[in-house]
Amino acid sequence: MSRRANNVRGPTSALTDFLRESGITPTTIARRTRTRNQAENPDQPEAGPSTAGQDQDQPANGNREERGAAENGDDYDSDNLDEPEEEETPAPKKRKLSKAAEAKLKAKEKAKAKKKTKKRGDDDDDDYEDSDDDPYNALSKMWKGDLPKPPIGSFEKCAKCKTQFTVTKYTLAANPPPGWLCHPCAKSGGSDPFKKPAAPRKRKAPTDKRVVVYFEEKKFPSLVSLCIDLLGNYIDDVEALGDIGNLNLDEIAKTISKSRRITAQNAPLFYDVENTRLTLYDVTNLEAPALCALANLNPNMTHLRLDFCGRIDNEVLRHWKTALPNLKRLELLGPFLVRAPVWQEFFRAHPSLEGFLITQSPRFDLECMRALVSSCKNLKELRLSEIGLMDDELLDLLKPLAGTLTSLEISRPGSAARPDPLSEEALIDLIAAVGGSLTHLNLSHNGDITDQFLFKGLKPHTRKLTSLKLAGTPELTNAGVAEFFNTWVATAQTAGKTPNPPLEVLDMDRDHQLGADALFALLEHSGPALKHLRINQWTAASQESLQTIAARAPNLQTLDVGFCREVDDWVIKSLLESCQSLKEVKVWGCQRLTVDCPRKRDVNIIGVEAGQLVS
Amino acid sequence: MQAENAAAASTSTSDNDWVKLISKDGYTFLIRRKVAMNSGTLKNMVSVESNFAEAATNTCTIDDRGIIVEKLCEYLSYKNLYKDSPPKEIPDFLERLQPEIALDLLMAADYYEA
Repeated sequence: MSRRANNVRGPTSALTDFLRESGITPTTIARRTRTRNQAENPDQPEAGPSTAGQDQDQPANGNREERGAAENGDDYDSDNLDEPEEEETPAPKKRKLSKAAEAKLKAKEKAKAKKKTKKRGDDDDDDYEDSDDDPYNALSKMWKGDLPKPPIGSFEKCAKCKTQFTVTKYTLAANPPPGWLCHPCAKSGGSDPFKKPAAPRKRKAPTDKRVVVYFEEKKFPSLVSLCIDLLGNYIDDVEALGDIGNLNLDEIAKTISKSRRITAQNAPLFYDVENTRLTLYDVTNLEAPALCALANLNPNMTHLRLDFCGRIDNEVLRHWKTALPNLKRLELLGPFLVRAPVWQEFFRAHPSLEGFLITQSPRFDLECMRALVSSCKNLKELRLSEIGLMDDELLDLLKPLAGTLTSLEISRPGSAARPDPLSEEALIDLIAAVGGSLTHLNLSHNGDITDQFLFKGLKPHTRKLTSLKLAGTPELTNAGVAEFFNTWVATAQTAGKTPNPPLEVLDMDRDHQLGADALFALLEHSGPALKHLRINQWTAASQESLQTIAARAPNLQTLDVGFCREVDDWVIKSLLESCQSLKEVKVWGCQRLTVDCPRKRDVNIIGVEAGQLVS
Repeated sequence: MQAENAAAASTSTSDNDWVKLISKDGYTFLIRRKVAMNSGTLKNMVSVESNFAEAATNTCTIDDRGIIVEKLCEYLSYKNLYKDSPPKEIPDFLERLQPEIALDLLMAADYYEA
């Protein structure tokens, strides 16, 4: 019974379909008969279909009255309805029908499931309602040719080319019926025999789509998140938050950023009309209007740094153009939505810009650079890191900045599609032009840089450089770097120029060819001045050379000797003894360190693997 | 003081012995070890594997005012009590926080990983 209630129908005759489309079904007729109680109704014999399928409106077992009426009517017998189906199974029709029925079945079951959650146990009612709101919508077979398809595997003559072919389940009817087409004719006729019948199930989809189920994992609220919630609640009532003055707002900004909780609601905590500097470490959750508000509430800002500012778009930058008239230094991490024309407008509106530092922009292009250089004559600091459209031509434009530019970073240029777009010659040219005034230079991850760059770029042209970062330039050789540091001063002196001062910051991470010679030479050149040194992955550096760091660079504050294989407890011991201002040593991958690696108060030794195994 | 003696007497630490927290203005708070364990930082400070003085004496000096330490202890107890409860049965802690101490408490909570 349940199958019948589920509306699975067998094939029916054209007449039945026609009548059904006109709203005449066995049930309606039976009802009419019953209500009128007129046995002599002349229409009734015709209305009862000879091959009547299981009707969609056939009531389920619950509806006994109608069933009784149906049984009383001698014109059709619901028990016989299934039989013709087995006799004249026309394959394609059956497929279509069953597909349509299946789709309906599913939709109906869903509807039922929904209803059942509301009212349980009232199945009779459900079935009755369901059959009511389920109009018959399959195509009328009246227009499809009357002949059933011959059984699969039998032979048939093509209606077009008259050749004999085997009937398959893909065989199509000839377009002006009657007849069937062989495969080549069906194809040449423009119809694809393998095309699946369009699924008639789209009807229910929209309502299903609208029901979006959200799963929210409830974690136990941390005290940090509770405090941030509280800040958000009281943000308009700054008095209630007590005396903020004695607290370090920057620390608070870091704390809130750590859990990515700076929102439009609590961000005003950091805003002030008199504010000239603002640093927010994660503004992922500040959307465009909030970023405009940021500018409105800090109109006197001169130094702005926003990390993870992916929501900054054209509108925001256009707004900042006028709302932050005093801006001198702008540092953004990830402003990738801002398009080139808007950058240009922004630069033209800020001729007093002195620092422009962006990381990650696939849109910053030649024209932007041109606008920046021509508008901002006083540019001192420039960072273009991870700029997709970087190329040699763009570097050329930087040359007019000679004399003013003190800090330059062009690291990780290009994209996956065009790695290392900057040629060494262009970089040498650039340093030849602007090198004289630079104090900070970062050309990390420019794969084209070789020893040539050191000799032709840095050696003759830099005069004030104190911070040099050339990480990820694997072409540099041990001998080349050693030679460079050994002769840097002497070359300048013989040329009668002031030599470059010793370096305070040196980062030559991941230049794996470098080793002992380079290390000795650089310590000889700038040892006492060095404060921050990174020689990560100088795998070949000997133990003796590493010992020399402690002796030659007593003012070190941070040191990264990760993956320098020769570092052992003795190297660390001498570092701790002679470098009094040392704060941090990174020793990841130094596997000769043991659990007994020396420690000292206030010095972080990070990455001792032996120690981790024990605790 | 009693609790401290008890802790000193039993060299083996159990979840039920006491940990003393001293605020920078001199207030002293005694909380169960299992309560203190809900703060990552305190957990490291008093864990028996470490050689810290805090672990040896079961006493931690906290560089915050008494009112902040009090609220921190309150939260740790609350977390200890309800951390395994179904979400619907957990009462709201937010209403027990005063906005006056929100910023200080935020910094303390961040440091003590609460």
